[in-house]
Amino acid sequence: MPKVLRINKGSEEGLKELLRFLLENGKVKGVLTLRKMGEYGAISYSLITNPDDIDSTLPLFPLMPVNLGKQLSLLTLMGPAADPIAVVLRPCELRAFVELVKRTQGSLENILFISSTCAGVYPLEMAVEGNIGEHLPQYWKAVEQGEVIPDIRLACQACEYFVPYTADITVSLLSNKGIDKETTLFLNTDKGEISVEGISGQLSEEGLDSAAIEQMRNKREAEKQKLSDKVETKTLGIDDLTKTFSRCIDCHNCSKVCPICYCHVCFFNTKDSEHGPFYYETELEKMGYVSMLSDTIFYHLVRLFHVSASCVGCGLCADVCPANIPLWAISLKMGAAVQQAFDYLPGKDIEEGLPFTTFAPEEFAGIE
Amino acid sequence: MVVTQKGAILAAEEGTEKGILNFIKQALSQGCFDAVLIPVRVPAGDSFAYFLIRNEAIFERASPLPPVMPVQGARAISSLTRRGKGKKRIVAIMRPCEARATIELAKLGQVDLENIILTTVDCPGVIPLSDYFENSEKGDEIFKDTSQKWNSKPMRPVCRICDKFSATGGEDLHIGTLGTKSGSILLIPHSSKGESILSKLGISLKEDISGWADKVNKLTEERKRERDQANDALRADIEGVDRLVEAFSACINCHNCMRVCPICYCRQCSFDSDKMKFTFEDYFTRAEARGRLMVPTDTLLFHIGRMLHMSLSCVSCGMCEDACPMAIPVAQIFAVVGDRNQEAFDYVPGRSMDEPLPLTTFDEEEFLEVEQSYTGVSSQQEGQNA
Repeated sequence: MPKVLRINKGSEEGLKELLRFLLENGKVKGVLTLRKMGEYGAISYSLITNPDDIDSTLPLFPLMPVNLGKQLSLLTLMGPAADPIAVVLRPCELRAFVELVKRTQGSLENILFISSTCAGVYPLEMAVEGNIGEHLPQYWKAVEQGEVIPDIRLACQACEYFVPYTADITVSLLSNKGIDKETTLFLNTDKGEISVEGISGQLSEEGLDSAAIEQMRNKREAEKQKLSDKVETKTLGIDDLTKTFSRCIDCHNCSKVCPICYCHVCFFNTKDSEHGPFYYETELEKMGYVSMLSDTIFYHLVRLFHVSASCVGCGLCADVCPANIPLWAISLKMGAAVQQAFDYLPGKDIEEGLPFTTFAPEEFAGIE
Repeated sequence: MVVTQKGAILAAEEGTEKGILNFIKQALSQGCFDAVLIPVRVPAGDSFAYFLIRNEAIFERASPLPPVMPVQGARAISSLTRRGKGKKRIVAIMRPCEARATIELAKLGQVDLENIILTTVDCPGVIPLSDYFENSEKGDEIFKDTSQKWNSKPMRPVCRICDKFSATGGEDLHIGTLGTKSGSILLIPHSSKGESILSKLGISLKEDISGWADKVNKLTEERKRERDQANDALRADIEGVDRLVEAFSACINCHNCMRVCPICYCRQCSFDSDKMKFTFEDYFTRAEARGRLMVPTDTLLFHIGRMLHMSLSCVSCGMCEDACPMAIPVAQIFAVVGDRNQEAFDYVPGRSMDEPLPLTTFDEEEFLEVEQSYTGVSSQQEGQNA
């Protein structure tokens, strides 16, 4: 049973106290978490080294402007963190980072991972409209009650993986009565335990409320079914895909923000993927017409092929799509199918090899 | 804007759109060109994409003036010709800002105009993508209703303050629709390519089009005033580093503004390259210097870099703003900067193929006041001393 630390303050304040404690006592040299920028209220991740700046952080604010897994990869791509840092991130961000580390795109070294049982985040659109603040009271009430919050990202409403797998410390939020008065921190690893030594709070030993977790998972699964049914990709056949992707403006922003799409240069942005006039004129001769966006479905299919085994369902792709294509649902459906076929859960375990990099002689005998 | 006093008036009893399409179809059948590059409604019906077309049937779905701009037309022409020109002569039907961006790309070596006949249409603006994709049928209706009245309210913010909505002179052929009597369109050629189409069709350029020209001039002046006002108002919010940081603070570093920009043509942007990847120690040192470092990093540097690279050629099409997931008013900010930079060089992007890009030309007597602020003496004084 893991150790649990309770701090007599509401969850966000308690977590901020922990972050301040870690910085002030030299347990870490930096803290990476959400912070309010300037007066317009834009909220962004910041790497903070000055303990005084912890006051302006919002570690549990329900927004994911970027997938922090991708950002951690950029920070540690050229080498591991030289000094220990603490990172507050959501389970899907942590899973994405683990997937990237498996692809040698970052390093877990010297990072203290603090995550939470995640109730989900609001769409970027709501941050743009600036009305997340109004929703916060009902958000936290729903978190305590263990309800699926109706206006969060659709990907979050359908997410079953809201309990982090590899966090050193987990803040218990979902279905936890009294989160506004007390902070409950599960110390999952030795690293987590050592890091809090010396902070004031009550220690005990207990597990997460597995019945409540199971209940939440069932609710999310039902929601997922409902939402998937609404999206016009029932069969994922070529006709549906043509229809779904016909609005695509070929901006590739889904790939740009995707934590799994790590290629420095995507094939679809290279010269090799461009057509010369000969192609267009031949198609014109053959068909009488040719679209200048002829490869968008090809792009999406290849992207699905490349990322689906590792897709963590964070939903950023759908949030940034200028054409409102329900990419989250398509990725989720493809992801679930591929991950199930390989019995693989992305980001669960750093030791587990990527499905396409491991070979089992007795695999997929049916297809053979 | 360039106004020739003579042009041709063509009957368009079934409306402007049909009138333009009928003219194009007729010219195609007479062999004035081999194919047409034009926005076509996608099969799902809820958007448009540039198609290269020749078949009669596909013209049913073509639209010379769709309610939205999902892709900037200059990018479509660039896709078609950046690897070299083809054998076919193609007429490209687009909005003025798309044609102007095309001309800039031609100057940058990304478009080959030899076999292209650039044709523009008076443009009432486009509806923002997010509004249109919320409900495309409603978007179609709103556009139909407002574009006829030249009511720019539902259009992109930069469309509302666009003072180059008509011919600028760089196009081969312009189609005038602003305030024309219902049931007619104007044809105004600006090059021998444009003229030869009309002469092949036996269309003479004898009609007096000064009525249209006056209306275009009047709206241009109106829009210029509105543009200056809007620029001044926004300038107050973005001038100085602190305000600029604030204006871009919501940026998630997705670079989608660059990706959809018709002028940003680099295959590999320097801000996506290995040059912009640093060691953890580098990032950490920067964080320690100020107590914190925003992640993603270098967002403002990216925007300033992009501004420096493309603002002289910025045609204010508004694609960047439409594609920004954080609704940062990128296009409006770039309008403020672009207008000032372009004015400094007396340069209008896309006005003429004969005007070279300002940064590729050297003029000895240019920007003396800037020089003076560094040296304390003007080059004129220097000459006298010598």
